[in-house]
Amino acid sequence: MRIPVPEGGMSLFDWQPELFATFNMFYGVLWSEGTLDQATKEVGRIRNARIVDCGI
Amino acid sequence: MTWLTRTATGSTSLDEVYRLTPKVYEQFLALERGVWTSSALDPSMLEVARLRIAKLVGCSHELERRMPEALAAGLTEAKIAELAQWPSSPLYTARERMVLAFCESYVIDAHSVTDALCARLNEQFSPAELSALTIAIALFDAMARFRTALDA
Repeated sequence: MRIPVPEGGMSLFDWQPELFATFNMFYGVLWSEGTLDQATKEVGRIRNARIVDCGI
Repeated sequence: MTWLTRTATGSTSLDEVYRLTPKVYEQFLALERGVWTSSALDPSMLEVARLRIAKLVGCSHELERRMPEALAAGLTEAKIAELAQWPSSPLYTARERMVLAFCESYVIDAHSVTDALCARLNEQFSPAELSALTIAIALFDAMARFRTALDA
């Protein structure tokens, strides 16, 4: 782990719980709202991950 | 001006595009506010990061913008003008240099964020600061690409 995780936390974002919660609200709305269907969004997400080569 | 054939009403080009998805825009604005009002990082340092990323991506919309929080914190146009020369400029602190190095690796090739770079970041910043900084850089990168792609 390049950046330590706080005790009891799961990721480095647990150092900023309020900010991470705001991000999760944004990401949640991105997936649950809007005119695009889920499959189209997922195709974009996976393609982006492959271009960046993000194994996670 | 955006190439989208339909836009929403708004006072800025970003409003006109992003308000086509108002609920997403509302949450985005909350996230952006959170980044700038977080007490973890100096706003002038965040602005240095945002503008460097905008330059790397080539986003004129973001380059023209100035965040009031950063100007209030003392960031000057002279310092902004030196951004491309930050490795040799005397205007930047050790922490700002680390932020700029992190930004460049993140934007150009995220795999170039090496263990060595992270070790140096850990020397200059607390984990809480690095957490906030990484979220901020991700947001700045995303916005620069979003606005460039849509010309908004």
